[in-house]
Amino acid sequence: MTIVVKELSVQIGKAHILSEVTLAVGPGTWCTVIGPNGAGKTSLLSVMAGLRRASSGAVEIDGIDIHALSERDRARRVAYVPQDPIVPPGMAARDYVTLGRTASHGLLRAPSRSDLDIVDGVIDRLGLGGLATRDVATLSGGERQRVVLARALAQGTRVVLLDEPTTGLDVRHQIEMLELLRKEVDECELTVVATLHDLTLAGLFADHMVLLHQGRVVETGAPSTVVRSSALSASYETSLQVIDVDGRDVVIPGRPLTTRQ
Amino acid sequence: MTTNRPSRRLSVVSLFALVFLVVAILCGLAIGPTSISVATIASDVLRRVGIGHGHLSGLDATIIWQIRAPRMVLGLLVGAMLAVAGGTYQGVFRNPLADPYLLGVAAGAGLGATIAIVHDGGSVSPPSWTPLLAFIGAMVSVALTWTIGGRGARSTTATLVLAGVAVAALLTSAQTFLQQQASAQSIARVYIWLLGSLATASWTSVWSTLPYVVVCCAVCVAAGRALDVMSVGEDEARALGLPVRRVRAVVIVASSLGTAAVVSVVGLIGFVGIIVPHVVRLMVGTSYRRILPLCVIVGAAFVVLTDTVARTVLAPTELPLGVVTAVIGAPVFVLILSVRRSVTT
Repeated sequence: MTIVVKELSVQIGKAHILSEVTLAVGPGTWCTVIGPNGAGKTSLLSVMAGLRRASSGAVEIDGIDIHALSERDRARRVAYVPQDPIVPPGMAARDYVTLGRTASHGLLRAPSRSDLDIVDGVIDRLGLGGLATRDVATLSGGERQRVVLARALAQGTRVVLLDEPTTGLDVRHQIEMLELLRKEVDECELTVVATLHDLTLAGLFADHMVLLHQGRVVETGAPSTVVRSSALSASYETSLQVIDVDGRDVVIPGRPLTTRQ
Repeated sequence: MTTNRPSRRLSVVSLFALVFLVVAILCGLAIGPTSISVATIASDVLRRVGIGHGHLSGLDATIIWQIRAPRMVLGLLVGAMLAVAGGTYQGVFRNPLADPYLLGVAAGAGLGATIAIVHDGGSVSPPSWTPLLAFIGAMVSVALTWTIGGRGARSTTATLVLAGVAVAALLTSAQTFLQQQASAQSIARVYIWLLGSLATASWTSVWSTLPYVVVCCAVCVAAGRALDVMSVGEDEARALGLPVRRVRAVVIVASSLGTAAVVSVVGLIGFVGIIVPHVVRLMVGTSYRRILPLCVIVGAAFVVLTDTVARTVLAPTELPLGVVTAVIGAPVFVLILSVRRSVTT
């Protein structure tokens, strides 16, 4: 499935949150949206997930406007992981992952055998078997993020949107999380749009990168091109240096341009 | 879905709840100024369904079937409805302090009843149209709350709760004003009405509330799964495919309508709607699929039992039911809380 964003603008009062953002992400592609705080990354993702309306422009999934779909039909096409997911205390991890099947079994019916098989499949793939009966609220940060990812994958959608999926994770867990996601993209032909703060990791895992600054797309293309662009340092108002370590781009921050002597 | 331990716990708790219900029903029928044994009542019930020949004397039969039975059944309906409505509100507002009166039902019903009683003047008991006015008052106040805080794209549960606070404050002040203008006798009757009582129960009041309670409880219980999804917050619930606004509207209408129906007949019985769902939650965990059906049973039993206490401890004087629910409910709740140690929504 291809998700297309067409000249999307979001305006709240006089503030332009997003201005004419256009992008298209096809199946088996991972697109990472980068940009400084307040660039509009989270707004972009929540509009793409259909949770928020744009002032103008459209989001289409395989040619269908996302707002023309009912919540249930939308949830069968797009899964969304917010930056700060709410984990309800007292819910077992497996039950939490099973929430991902809501759109499939509906509100009045229990999850079917096949729903539960999908849930168990995802739990297995992400190595969460040992946590299945644990209360989600008692999980560590890394475990929690994986359980939230599992819920999104259990939705069985072709498009997955993730807002800062590695927030609060140590470097090993960040890489683990992104590896898991990369595998899903490659093996299941998922369309992934994620926002990330770590520019090196962003470059390492994405196929495509979009740099947002003040609500506008200022650079787009292959990660190596975007991280090397002059627009990157300008957007972050920080000198960023890119060095090549065994064929991988590593982004190293310097002192902010304005305070440097 | 669940591992063995929670589901075994659920069976045990359900069994206890059913036993509690049976005990409450028997107490409701057998205990009173005229003591009639459970065995005699049972044999009379059996004769009515065609088994055996035991029966009650004429006076005892009247006491059981025309006085205690309708009162007991009305208690079941009131308890079930208030507990389910409270549990539902706690789920939909994701707020452990939510109770069935959150959106102004109590204030509206109180104003309606006060208008009826004050307008009626000096008679001994509230006029027969008190329930009708109380019901209208309750529905008008919820409608008002919804109009202010529940409509439009920007409405959230927070705007709704705040609108409920405002509407309740407005209607309560109107009610207080009316009460203050009235005669001492009317004030006393308004006061008695506000504290709630099943003393006026009759089969007529049972039949008039039964349809509301059955339908509204059924809707809320059926919404248990949706409320579980909503425990991840409104945005995420929408992303999971839940039509949040529609679900919210349906369960709020069902809880409010049911609450209005019972409150208009028996007055403002407090505490049931907040305490029973929490007790059940402490026993069986946070899933509304489990909490709400158990609320029906435990709420029903709790009100019948507290009403039995209310009408016997100081007989022939009756204690206000709202006072007894709090006096019995609070210590029980504290006890369970200290045993289970954690309370969550």
